[in-house]
Amino acid sequence: MGMTAAELKERFGDTVFDSVEVEARGEDMVEFALACGETDPCFTDSSHPDFQAPANFATKYHGARMLPSDFPKFDPARMIDAGKAIEIHAPIRPDTKLTAKSHLHDIYEKTGRSGLMVFLVHRMEFTDESDELKAYVDWRLILRGGLQ
Amino acid sequence: MRGAEVSALVILDLHNHSIKSDDGRAKVENYCQWISKKGIGVDGFVLTEHRQFDAESDYRPLEDEFGILILKGSEVETDYGHVLVFGVNDEMQTAFDFTRIGLSAELVVREVKRCGGIAVPCHPGRTQVGMLAHVRERGAVDGVEVIETLNGGSRGSENDDAQSLAEEFSYRGIGGSDAHIVSHIGRCSTRFDQDIEDMDGLVEALRTSRYEAVRVSS
Repeated sequence: MGMTAAELKERFGDTVFDSVEVEARGEDMVEFALACGETDPCFTDSSHPDFQAPANFATKYHGARMLPSDFPKFDPARMIDAGKAIEIHAPIRPDTKLTAKSHLHDIYEKTGRSGLMVFLVHRMEFTDESDELKAYVDWRLILRGGLQ
Repeated sequence: MRGAEVSALVILDLHNHSIKSDDGRAKVENYCQWISKKGIGVDGFVLTEHRQFDAESDYRPLEDEFGILILKGSEVETDYGHVLVFGVNDEMQTAFDFTRIGLSAELVVREVKRCGGIAVPCHPGRTQVGMLAHVRERGAVDGVEVIETLNGGSRGSENDDAQSLAEEFSYRGIGGSDAHIVSHIGRCSTRFDQDIEDMDGLVEALRTSRYEAVRVSS
């Protein structure tokens, strides 16, 4: 690929490359909560006075792009999913229209038993119609073998 | 130090990661709670965050609340695998870039010592990230005096290989859990026969031979 992790971060970091709009419907929130094994009625009962989405709800959404359109090409067989982390800022209430903007929040290298790895941290930032920040979802992708 | 007589004054777990590391899932407070609740036999632990030194966090309130010594070091990545760094100071942080992978191990060992600290190659028996295979291929690193012979995240055979390496080169050995989650802290530690109250004391103690790597049970 010809660029170091630091150069990629400088080139692509913090630039929004995707934006999608989704609606957090109450029935979807209940279905998601039940699928996760939630039992607290504030997540499973839409008539509950404090009804809201479970903490990990925003992880169900994905954008139209995984990486910027001009991101250097690599063999997708070298990529593995390293999971998602969520940072909650405000409860997501039913029937909220959310905007999710994606950017590469971090790009870094590390070494493990299998050798060199490059971590790409795809951050989706969820806001509501009044632009209130609801959550960050950080999706880590590992490129095994580095940026060759 | 295998088999040596060390009458314990202090037992410290010298290798752990908190949520400050990208792959750490444990809060420092939760480590303290776990040690306290489970009666883990350690007097303190060192946070060795990956590729960084966490200068900003102040754990003194937790030390006071739980009566546990909490020290801060780092784990950097070199051409001979990962290396624990104890005694980090401002001068050392300008001597080399902690965030870089593929640092020269020889440079790290030399600069850490020049700046008053001590560098300890960790989990040397592991492939890629341990020193052993690199030593076999390219020879030993000048200046290494201590290696981690007991690592909580390594396989038994990898720790055996680390111990053999220590014996072959007369390295002293330390133990650390390499905990990334709460329940892993205190699996492996280092038993000192002298009191240690701060990082300066730890570095001074590591320059002696009055310690040994141990497994700790609650």
